Amino acid sequence: MTSATAPTQPRRGLWHRVRGRQGRNLWFALFVAPFFIGLLVFVYVPIAWSAYLSFFEARNTVTPTKFVGFDNYLYLLGDDLFRNSLLVFVAFAVFIVPLTYACSLGLALLLDKLRWGRAFFRSVFFIPTAVSYVIAAIIWRFSFFNGARFGLLNSWLRSWGFDPVNWLGGGNNLYWIALVSVRLWLQVGFYMILFIAGLNKIPVETYEAAALDGASGWKLLRWITLPQLRATSVAVVMLLLINAFQAFDEFYNMLGSIGSYPPYGRPPLVHLYLIALGGGKQDLGVGGAGTVILTAIIVAFGVLQNRVLNRGERADR
Amino acid sequence: MNISRRSLLLAGGSLAAAATLAACGNNNPLSSPTPIGSTSASGSASDVTLQQWYHEYGEAGVKEAVERYAAAYPNATVEVKWTPGDYSSILAAQLLTNDIPDVFEYEQGGSLDMIRAGQLEDLTELIGDQAADFNPAVMKRFTFEDKIYGIPQTIDMQLLYYRPSLLEAAGVEPPTTFEQLVAAANAVKSADIGGFFAGNDGGIGVLGTILIWASGSDQLTEDRSAVAFLNDDFYAALTSYRDFLRSGGVLEAASAEWYDGAAFVNGEAAMQWGGLWSLPDIKKAWGDDVAVLPFPAIGANGRPAVPFGAFGSCVAAKGANVDASKAFAKWLWIDQEEFQVDFSNSYGTHIPAKPSLVAQADKLADGPGKDAAQFVSDHGFANDIMWSGALGDAYSTAVSNVIKDGKDPKTEFAAFEATAKTELAKLQS
Amino acid sequence: MKTGKVGLALRYGVASALALLFLLPLYVIVRNAFSTNANITAARWNWLPDQANLTNLHSLLANDSIGIVRAMGNSAVMSLLQTAGTVTVSLLAGYALARYTHRVARVLLGLTVFTLMVPAATTFLPMFIITAQLGWIDTFRGLVIPGMFSAFATYLFRQFFLDFPVELEDASLIDGCNPWTSFWRIVVPNSTGIIAAVGTIVLIGSWNAFLWPTLIGRDATRTVQVALSQFMTSQGVRYPELFMGTLVAVLPMLFVFLFLQRYLVQGLTTSGLR
Repeated sequence: MTSATAPTQPRRGLWHRVRGRQGRNLWFALFVAPFFIGLLVFVYVPIAWSAYLSFFEARNTVTPTKFVGFDNYLYLLGDDLFRNSLLVFVAFAVFIVPLTYACSLGLALLLDKLRWGRAFFRSVFFIPTAVSYVIAAIIWRFSFFNGARFGLLNSWLRSWGFDPVNWLGGGNNLYWIALVSVRLWLQVGFYMILFIAGLNKIPVETYEAAALDGASGWKLLRWITLPQLRATSVAVVMLLLINAFQAFDEFYNMLGSIGSYPPYGRPPLVHLYLIALGGGKQDLGVGGAGTVILTAIIVAFGVLQNRVLNRGERADR
Repeated sequence: MNISRRSLLLAGGSLAAAATLAACGNNNPLSSPTPIGSTSASGSASDVTLQQWYHEYGEAGVKEAVERYAAAYPNATVEVKWTPGDYSSILAAQLLTNDIPDVFEYEQGGSLDMIRAGQLEDLTELIGDQAADFNPAVMKRFTFEDKIYGIPQTIDMQLLYYRPSLLEAAGVEPPTTFEQLVAAANAVKSADIGGFFAGNDGGIGVLGTILIWASGSDQLTEDRSAVAFLNDDFYAALTSYRDFLRSGGVLEAASAEWYDGAAFVNGEAAMQWGGLWSLPDIKKAWGDDVAVLPFPAIGANGRPAVPFGAFGSCVAAKGANVDASKAFAKWLWIDQEEFQVDFSNSYGTHIPAKPSLVAQADKLADGPGKDAAQFVSDHGFANDIMWSGALGDAYSTAVSNVIKDGKDPKTEFAAFEATAKTELAKLQS
Repeated sequence: MKTGKVGLALRYGVASALALLFLLPLYVIVRNAFSTNANITAARWNWLPDQANLTNLHSLLANDSIGIVRAMGNSAVMSLLQTAGTVTVSLLAGYALARYTHRVARVLLGLTVFTLMVPAATTFLPMFIITAQLGWIDTFRGLVIPGMFSAFATYLFRQFFLDFPVELEDASLIDGCNPWTSFWRIVVPNSTGIIAAVGTIVLIGSWNAFLWPTLIGRDATRTVQVALSQFMTSQGVRYPELFMGTLVAVLPMLFVFLFLQRYLVQGLTTSGLR
């Protein structure tokens, strides 16, 4: 801006180009500056800083002096719990993604076939979107899946003559039921709305033409509805995977207690939190390395997904 | 807030310097231990504001009590910050910022990482000869390389609560060996009440390290270069506990965690591993029908064990008013014995850090309280300073794999031993 | 369509059963919030509350270790500020990225899409370190600003503005507006639907956020989610108060949600989210 006050002759051409026609470029800068400066300061600079810290031993300090090369990376890759956390993500995704996909699509199709009360049912299934993971975890941990005899599921088991089950205590893999069901309840409604939007975009004529050909029921679903929902499906699956990768709140609140978290059921972000900031230890070097590795994984995944998506779209045309 | 506090200190620079000098004078052990006196310092010193941090004590009244102590300090304004949740993580994060708490409590008087990172002020001279007034076991644990970084506030410990009437009705003696504990738990449990409760993870979180001591070993070797418990007695202890869990004698889930007396108070279990701090609630519920034991000996070389620890009052080395902070920490946790007794005895049950004050703590005069104080001196163990978070994590993972997943202890702990070696080498340097 | 009566009845049966299942957790909050501890921990599950009065609310309000009133206030301040900030910043950027197509704009668009893939939660640790260095721990600045730059919101706005008729703006430019005034006088008033939709998503997300407020929020800025989470594992937790707190925390968002649901559905339906 300051250079505008004293434009010298040879620089006018450059300045003119920077400003653009009718100052277009300046207006553009005014519009995008807040967002991109924020992105730079709070996303990119931090990532760079943690990449820097990852090459140092940085316990309880952000200005480390002891360079350790790739030690932190080697430590993490050799850490069973870290590798395990990636496995936990995979296992979690294998359950939660297809289940949420099927349930939200199922609900959307169900609502589509109702004659009245659609808005009511849609609201009911959509409502859990407004509830936080913390609150849902409280209900699941203390009422539904409480390992004590007064939990809802244990009350039922006992009334049928079974022993109560320690749902969240580990030793079996039953805690997965709680973790998967809570997430399902919370997010199924949101994706149902996306599918409803997708269904509404399918032209009625497509169905009518197919009906004339004698298609009905499953055939209609298989050959008309699902292919037409392809774009929505891809978006839903991608969002589901990214969300599963970020899982933290319900794991932390259902399995953790003050200052401790069991060694099982640790998704990547929970493990990263525990090694870098949890329980009084503060290892920012290892934490930085963890951030870099996880970011790399998710970017690699996103790029791959984009490739597949683009190829799919080209094939569609 | 942060900015105004700093600018205030800058504006009052000369006053702050005066207070610093006064506080230095007070450091001299030859000078009078009474407050610096209202003549010269009161005006300037009250301009100093110190921030003091505590974790959230679950017992009612503690917050009001520490605020009362802080208000009674004549030489500075002390703001108490009460911190619920994962205190040590929150504190560690705050110490990285520009708004550093001046005085704060920390388990066992500070962690090795904090000492190494230079976050803690060396309090050795401040405590001086008065170190001898404190419980020697605690003081030994608080001393690292001949330096002391925290003043012990009060001693906490864990122990086994049981209801004598229930054991008697089941025809079993109070357990002094692990086999007896297993037998007793299985004898007293019924459809209405569980045998033994130690947390919603089956007890492996809180009992994990106790198994080392109770089977007759120590955590680390004398020179802290290696772990010292990987022997057959320890492996047998792990498998015994696994069998105990499988026997059904352990109540695996209850309405609250082990650190809360609620499960025992509600009659969910006949025996509970818990904290001494819960004693008042428990006595209120069961009156005289409560007795306590240390964790029983496991195996041929076993011995009874209770873990103890003390929160120590530390001073931030990079705080804005280090000397004023030191003066305050000394005033409260060394000089004000009346407050120290009140802190230990009036809210929950804790053991005063100075043995000479134990006599004034009426909750320790008889019954379970008296036994508990004795357990600490006879069977007390504390985590080694080099038993770091990373080491503890690796340990509890191995324990969980053995006890919950039925893995072979020898193979699980072979992997642990390698991790421990690297970590200890890192910590030694 | 030729759906039989039996088929239709079956569909309504299934839909009703599922609706009950979806409402069950919310009912359990209410049941627990108006029960005594004995009713909640009774050996046999009771479906009905046994203390249908305000006793639990009173003890919740008196319970210092939750501090619910303060926490609700903090949550409200944080989520409103964050919503306003995010919507403003992203609206500006999204509009510009839709209207300008020169090389810089294309690069910035690519950067936005790239950021879309790296969720903020993944980088909580470096974001925390920066925030700590700025001295923003336990401040509303620290709670709000680092999370204000949402690639997701920017992208949604851009997709919306791609379909927004340029003619309106062109007319206003001829009438003597510059792009800035034209944006505020013409574009924004005609985009209230999408603003409400994105605003609702951000508001709900912000009110319900946990990881970031856990790291940043302390005494002065503890949000209601953090307060509940800390109370639920603390020594001396009491179920009736915990669930009354849960009820109090969930109600505002349920109202907001029911009120703004229409915009949300519209926004998600019309946006380029596909």
